[in-house]
Amino acid sequence: MKRKGTTALLNTPYAVWSTIFIVVPLFIVMYYAFTDNNGAFTLENIKNLGNYTDIFTISILYSLIATLITIIIAYPFAYAMTKKSVSSQKMQMMLIMLPMWMNLLIRTYSWLNILERNGLINNFLGLFGLEPLKMIGTPGAVILGMVYNYLPYMILPIYTVLSKIDPTLLEAAEDLGCSSFQKMIRLIIPMSMPGVVSGIAMVFVPSVSTFYISQKLGDGKVMLIGDVIERQIQMNHYDVGASISLVLMVMILISMAIMNRFSDADGGVVV
Amino acid sequence: MDKNIIDLKNITVAFDGETVLDDLSLSIRDGEFVTLLGSSGCGKTTTLRIIAGFIEPDAGSVFFDGLLVNGIPPYKRPVNTIFQKYALFPNLNVYDNIAFGLRVSKTPEKEIRERVSEMLALVGLKGFEKKNIAYLSGGQQQRVAIARAVINRPKVLLLDEPLAALDAKLRKDMQNELKKIQRELGITFIFVTHDQEEALSMSDTVVVMNEGKIQQVGTPIDIYNEPQNAFVADFIGESNIVDGVMLEDFKVKLGGRIFECLDRGFDKNEPVDVVIRPEDVDIVPLENGMIAGTITSVTFRGVHFEFIIDVCGFKWMIQTTDYHEVGENVGLYIEPDAIHIMKKSKYSGMFGDYSSFSDEMDNISNPDFEEGQSADKEVDPS
Repeated sequence: MKRKGTTALLNTPYAVWSTIFIVVPLFIVMYYAFTDNNGAFTLENIKNLGNYTDIFTISILYSLIATLITIIIAYPFAYAMTKKSVSSQKMQMMLIMLPMWMNLLIRTYSWLNILERNGLINNFLGLFGLEPLKMIGTPGAVILGMVYNYLPYMILPIYTVLSKIDPTLLEAAEDLGCSSFQKMIRLIIPMSMPGVVSGIAMVFVPSVSTFYISQKLGDGKVMLIGDVIERQIQMNHYDVGASISLVLMVMILISMAIMNRFSDADGGVVV
Repeated sequence: MDKNIIDLKNITVAFDGETVLDDLSLSIRDGEFVTLLGSSGCGKTTTLRIIAGFIEPDAGSVFFDGLLVNGIPPYKRPVNTIFQKYALFPNLNVYDNIAFGLRVSKTPEKEIRERVSEMLALVGLKGFEKKNIAYLSGGQQQRVAIARAVINRPKVLLLDEPLAALDAKLRKDMQNELKKIQRELGITFIFVTHDQEEALSMSDTVVVMNEGKIQQVGTPIDIYNEPQNAFVADFIGESNIVDGVMLEDFKVKLGGRIFECLDRGFDKNEPVDVVIRPEDVDIVPLENGMIAGTITSVTFRGVHFEFIIDVCGFKWMIQTTDYHEVGENVGLYIEPDAIHIMKKSKYSGMFGDYSSFSDEMDNISNPDFEEGQSADKEVDPS
């Protein structure tokens, strides 16, 4: 009994924290989503969401592309990393973490400097007398921003899962007739799926709800769902902002539930 | 049965400058149950991994059916391995684990289904198809590992201490079962173990190894009754190993007395090692004995008593069913067929005295002693 009491005590700070900053805000969001300006219950806000279908679609599409690109970059990188010596693995891990210690806003601003009309790349192209490229304000720049900012969140879970695969399993596969390629297809990729699924959750979710990256690198020309929410709330349209947030949340929860089914029972999604 | 399936010729392997296998040659006949026996670091697992193709020897050749296979990767060799910790694929169920090899070789699903159920019957796991391997007991995982390897119909099955993780009773059952499977399938088994009892009870041929060298190859009975040197005599069963001098054929002098024996072919007055198994010596009244000694300890072992008897400072081990008191002065009686003569080797004088059972015990209170000075030092690379 005493033991149980101690555990409960240890949980208290987190329980208080999550109640104040997670549970209560969720109820506030729900309250605003289902009430009008006078505080009366209404489904108007939800009905009006139809106006934002295009923006929802674009947001999801860009985030999916960004997620796909991070997988394509992160997977081979994480795999190659596991083959290195322990000291070199630690070094690479440091280098991956390093940018994460800097604020997202600063990192995004740096990209602005690199990509803008008078930025680093265009100055360089100018040296050869080439016309400046228009990069800021294109979907490409927004997706680049997402990939750059969230790539570590894809590398880390994949690396963790890959480095935990028992090397004797690989020997067993080889013993049972697998060439290096078949080992990859039949054993390594299936066994690393929980890591990939975690990575997808950790890249897709922040990408689909971002507004800062799209504002800066999209130069206001690329409007994502996060931007709409931000703008509505800036304009004190809490009801519209809340209803869009609610839908976004439900969509994210549904997609995570689907992904959970793809990762194995005890692996789960590590978020 | 007479054809050699595997020939190892002059294999040498070193890891980080440490020689693990030293000019090792070994031939294995088709259909045999061969056991590589030795303590850890003797090179037995390395030998197995060379046959599997996981390690390339620094020098020497590996032949399969007379064909050189050096440089051929494991997945192209007609062998399968049962790993020490089974190495079952945790993301696959029992059926998919067993079917793995056949799927890799693109066998039709219908045939896979038939062969998997055949295998499940062979290892007694019918009805386990859909089970998650994480929920199987050690013995069940072991059976899945056997089925997963054997289903590919390898010419040679390699077993790397597969029973080490099982408890004593289950291990005995699995020994019988492996033997049965080997007989039914008629394929060559190469079995690695450090357990001499296991080696004696399962094998057609036992290969005793130490320090990267083969000490003796023979049938279990040969290895036990006719050990070639003090290492083998000590490693297989219990042995009293005493210094002797071969006076002439059938006559050996030990402990100041001449004994009749069954051995011949040694030089006149050649110094030799004499092996006498503890169960082959009788304790008799002092006046009837060939050698006299004092009992220093008695241990009840169930089937028999184990006596340690001090004969002029050398401690003999004797096993007999009659009880005697500690401190009793007794005589020892040794029949000619209980005496086995071995040529002197580098292991002479290292084993066979029962002041203690292990090297480690001899040196456990010595602060200057370092692991690695002893005869069977730990250099196991695995």
